[in-house]
Amino acid sequence: MQANVGAVASTMVQEERAHRDARHDRLFSWLLKGCALLVLASLLGAAGATLWGGRHAFGTFGWHFLFSSAWDPGSDTYGALVPVYGTIATSVIALLIAVPISFGVALYLSEVAPTWLRTPVASAIELLAGIPSIIYGMWGLFIFAPFFADHIKPWLTNYLGNKPDDGKLSWVAQHTFVGKLFGSDYPFGASVLTAGIVLAVMIIPFISSVMREVFQTVPTRLKESAYALGSSTWEVSWDIVLPYTRSAVIGGIFLGLGRALGETMAVTFVLGNAMQFSASILDPGASIASTIANQFSEAAGLQKSTLMALAFLLFVVTFIVLLIARWMLRQLAHKEGR
Amino acid sequence: MTESAAAGIHPQSAASPAPIAPTKIKVRDLHFYYNGFHALKGISMDIPEKKVTAIIGPSGCGKSTLLRIFNRIYAIYPKLEAKGEIVLDGENILDTGYSMNRLRSKVGMVFQKPVPFPMTIFENVAYGIRHHEKLSRADMDIRVEQALRSAALWDEVKDKLKQSALGLSGGQQQRLCIARGIALKPEVLLLDEPTSALDPIATGRIEQLVEELKNEYTIVIVTHNMQQAARCSDLTAFMYLGELIEFDRTEQIFTKPSKKQTEDYITGRFG
Repeated sequence: MQANVGAVASTMVQEERAHRDARHDRLFSWLLKGCALLVLASLLGAAGATLWGGRHAFGTFGWHFLFSSAWDPGSDTYGALVPVYGTIATSVIALLIAVPISFGVALYLSEVAPTWLRTPVASAIELLAGIPSIIYGMWGLFIFAPFFADHIKPWLTNYLGNKPDDGKLSWVAQHTFVGKLFGSDYPFGASVLTAGIVLAVMIIPFISSVMREVFQTVPTRLKESAYALGSSTWEVSWDIVLPYTRSAVIGGIFLGLGRALGETMAVTFVLGNAMQFSASILDPGASIASTIANQFSEAAGLQKSTLMALAFLLFVVTFIVLLIARWMLRQLAHKEGR
Repeated sequence: MTESAAAGIHPQSAASPAPIAPTKIKVRDLHFYYNGFHALKGISMDIPEKKVTAIIGPSGCGKSTLLRIFNRIYAIYPKLEAKGEIVLDGENILDTGYSMNRLRSKVGMVFQKPVPFPMTIFENVAYGIRHHEKLSRADMDIRVEQALRSAALWDEVKDKLKQSALGLSGGQQQRLCIARGIALKPEVLLLDEPTSALDPIATGRIEQLVEELKNEYTIVIVTHNMQQAARCSDLTAFMYLGELIEFDRTEQIFTKPSKKQTEDYITGRFG
């Protein structure tokens, strides 16, 4: 009898416990869902707020807004072409410079460097990645831009550009689009290329520390088997390490690109903030973020709405970049036979 | 005969079982240092051509280390040092001038766990060949098929050569790794515990494959599975604490070993 009572009691305890567990699990899953929804809500909120704030500009200029390079607060006419072009051009230049260098840094640290050197250099890179962007901007403005104007820019305009000092066009300038790209008679250091280089310096630590970390996830035995087939270090890196980590590497690159697209301070300092369209990367320009930072304090009415509309366009550009990243990953996976 | 006479100069009698075939790899007084740790202590042995030589011994005895010197895969790491002689076809592969590329096309290796490259099945086999030879598309197709056939994998994968190798089962992946190794037409095949990550059926297939492959290749297999050594090798070497204790015909080792340590190990008294 006694034993029976005990058994009943213990079943009751067990049932109670099961109920409590179910209740806790339900609460927990609501909590998690809430966190995830919060992110989604803030994303939609930010996009919606900028779209709503920009409705006046979109309504006034229509589709023309996207393709117009006009920017005249006097007559209240605005177009998004200059800042959108500036944003994309500076980020693409930054990527073209930063990706190969980061790749080299990461490969060196994960495959080639002696062990004692790896950790200090890796920590140094992580420290660099943590420096506030205004410091990169200041360095760009006070140190790099003057140097660029004195030593690099003259060479580029004279040998590659279509507006050389002595009027003699080089072969490339005459026959290819390179002439347009490097033609400039603006004498100062601030330009799209300068901003691209400063951005590259800024995102190299970021991309290379992501790459280094994913390169380290490649199993030793995979690398050994490639070496055992007679591969050189270069071949192992290119044929084995890179394909194995491909999706993470592309992810890292696009995170860097995301940073470059939205970067404000570093770019504002060295881009020159000229609201005039020029195809030359040696001329000053403007990016979406720098335009907003420069003009927000004085803007009102239609100009303010235009800045909001630009912010919305930055969302759209970033979203398109993410879509391209997704699409590239799928193509690569397809090629690998998965 | 001259080979065993040469071996006689060295004190380690373990190096010379009665020769059953011409010597392919002649190891003389081999020492190996791992960060200063003396991992191999004067190994001398003659590995016969087109036979299966098994290396057994407890964990940490240096059997894998020895195998990894035969294709100098250890050289990709810093602070590892081998001293002594390993003569392959009359040349010392430990000479600094010996070309890695040539060594690795002559000596193939298959590792403990199957490691297909993140590519298609076809590319996995073609990858190594491309490092050493330039072949036309048609020739490459033939070579890949030959390699997959010799690894007894062709029938299972011939319809999905363009699919990722990562989709194969563990046993298939390991046979793919063997195919990848023999696609280079090596002379020596090193197997480092090739079945330790496989189930018994896949293991059986690999052992059967080893039996077939020895007609063409000199095979050295490291295993911690004594039954496996007994089943598929012609000669067996027993190593303990970095030394070669006994090296003889497999049936000799497993029926009447001459050293007490060997007997203790194969009867399961330690290890």
